[in-house]
Amino acid sequence: MVWGAWICLLSPLVAACLITLGGRRLSRRAAGYVATTACFVAFGGAVASFVGLLGRDASQREVVSTAWTWITGGSYQSGLSILIDPLSVFMMLIVAGVGSLIVWYSVGYMDGDPEERRYFAYMALFVFSMLLLVQGGNLLLLLAGWGMVGLSSYLLIGFWHERPSAIAAAKKAFVMNAIGDASMALALFLLIQKANSLDFGILGGQYSSTVANLVALGLLGGAVAKSAQIPLHTWLPDAMEGPTPVSALIHAATMVTAGVYLIVRTHAIFEQAPKVADLAAGLGALTLLVAGLIALVQVDIKRVIAYSTMSQIGYMFLGAGIGSYPNAMFHLMTHAFFKALLFMAAGIVIHALVNEQDIRKMGGLRQLAPRTYWGFLIGSLALVGIFPFAGFFSKDSILAAAMDRGTYGYILWAAGLIGTFLTGLYTFRLLFIVFWGEPSAFVREHFHPLGRDTVAVALAVPVGVLAVLSIVGGWIQFSPWWHPVETWLQTVAEPVVSPESWQEWLSIGLSLLLGLSGIAVAWLFYGARRLAVPRLAFAQRTLEHKFYFDEAYDALFYAPAVFLANFFRRGVEQPLIADSGRDLGDDTRDLGGLVARAQTGLLRTYALAIASSVAVLAIVFVVLK
Amino acid sequence: MIALLGPEVTWYLGVAAFLFATGSLGVLLRRNPLIVLLSLEIMLNGGNLALIAFARNLGDGSGQIFALAVMAVAAAEVVVGLGLIVALNRKRVTLDVDRLNTLRG
Repeated sequence: MVWGAWICLLSPLVAACLITLGGRRLSRRAAGYVATTACFVAFGGAVASFVGLLGRDASQREVVSTAWTWITGGSYQSGLSILIDPLSVFMMLIVAGVGSLIVWYSVGYMDGDPEERRYFAYMALFVFSMLLLVQGGNLLLLLAGWGMVGLSSYLLIGFWHERPSAIAAAKKAFVMNAIGDASMALALFLLIQKANSLDFGILGGQYSSTVANLVALGLLGGAVAKSAQIPLHTWLPDAMEGPTPVSALIHAATMVTAGVYLIVRTHAIFEQAPKVADLAAGLGALTLLVAGLIALVQVDIKRVIAYSTMSQIGYMFLGAGIGSYPNAMFHLMTHAFFKALLFMAAGIVIHALVNEQDIRKMGGLRQLAPRTYWGFLIGSLALVGIFPFAGFFSKDSILAAAMDRGTYGYILWAAGLIGTFLTGLYTFRLLFIVFWGEPSAFVREHFHPLGRDTVAVALAVPVGVLAVLSIVGGWIQFSPWWHPVETWLQTVAEPVVSPESWQEWLSIGLSLLLGLSGIAVAWLFYGARRLAVPRLAFAQRTLEHKFYFDEAYDALFYAPAVFLANFFRRGVEQPLIADSGRDLGDDTRDLGGLVARAQTGLLRTYALAIASSVAVLAIVFVVLK
Repeated sequence: MIALLGPEVTWYLGVAAFLFATGSLGVLLRRNPLIVLLSLEIMLNGGNLALIAFARNLGDGSGQIFALAVMAVAAAEVVVGLGLIVALNRKRVTLDVDRLNTLRG
């Protein structure tokens, strides 16, 4: 069991090193298979750990394996250790399982790219970092993994480095995440000062409310940045500049959900700081609404899905914030299935249309790519939460849990329900525009179907597997009747809310109804085109500018910084530093010129100077004597 | 005392100062290197006269020995100086010290 976890952690790292060191000795295709194999091995290790834990008594399901002492400073020390408990194994299964499917898909998607090896090395590095994040046995290792997933995300967003927009997006993502990393590091500093340790166990200790609030706030800051929640969300849509499998793996299925994992993992501290937990839930609710609204007007196929990711992570934050940890984790899992499915189906569309992502040029793809259409449809239904697809089971239980939190909970609940309607609307707007109707001129001209070679297999099989998972994956838990996920996670994160049966059923009914009505409205506007899309110039402008977040940040941070820098350049550097050097040189030369004038080169002048000096000295001597 | 037979030592010193001043004026004002060299010799002789006058006045012979040493050095210096002047002349450089200002800063 322990060895399984170590294999799970290390095999992607080995693959990354192998591809990097192998260089050209490895063919580009082989590099892809090395990475894929490593991820599948990691998944095997995760399964081994899972089986190992399953065989134990519930109270025994926590194993810490320490390789060596990593850092010692004074009385503080932390080891390079991994933690195997239900929560980490749960995440390992998702990360390695979905990860290996997506890396396999990449073999097809990235086929022919001149820098395939670099891509797969980065992918393997990412999977390793993500596993380090979820398996790290203390907060320090978690932070290390946290930073490394940020790094690999940066590298992969900017993978097509000849595109200036990709580089800008990568930098934006990195800076935003660095803000979160810093806030999280501050929280850890405070914990070291108060508890002199970073083991997960210390989180349950008693802290003064100020300390608990500050630590929780710091951790929340990290989670918000990594999971693209308001106010640190603006990097995620831009991150779609990366290759599509990257978006599927990092910016949908795994990395962006790390914030939810962090909150669940450190829930003890959030329970001591209920205000901060409420803030997390509120931010989640706000994000799910804002992202859902923005998604309504986006015209880039990947950006629509990116906003829906933000929105779904909003649900998870809502769930984690109100203390419904198993439901948040469950939604994380089903979301990983159907969101990876959506991205990869979209990737096939983009692949078939020669890298076109603008949905206004698409249409009628249902006739040309029926299997992709079915995959996309399953993903969309799961996303909206229609019975019996995966999202139905996980999303509704979060909403039901919110009803158990008093007035504030009802506000969140209402926001979540509105979000369901929006989800149906924007998801099926996308589906109808891309797949329904007659093939557009652009599609007829550029569409080329997949062949039957290995590329097509690598593209199609993972999509198929995820489609199946999106259908059946939700059946694991149906909160009114059976809850194995909750039982599994019980020892690590026991929920603090337990909704009544009627609340469950009410939420299920309402969200199903609202989801369906969202789909119906989308059908009226975009499917059957019975109604013209209303023209609301102001709302449209606001949404197309994404509620002016980017503009506001520009005005708040970027513009003042540039102004200050310019001011200091013109007011301080130019006159004081740059000019002073030049003036010093000029003055020295002038003075030198003045002295040089005394040196006439005429012997007589020198003689006169000597003689007159001696005469003066003689007179002085005589007078003073 | 023999020293008291002549005029006062002040007179000798006066003549020596006159010679020295004449020589230095010559060095400062004349432009012909030959004359400059000559004026230099006059200055040296002024100095010598002062040395000998003191030697007589104080009855100490070392002043006279000193004057002899100065003459020897002056002779050597004239050899070098005249050699330079002849070399300048050979190169057809105008014999004018104001023109020799290569060291000007």
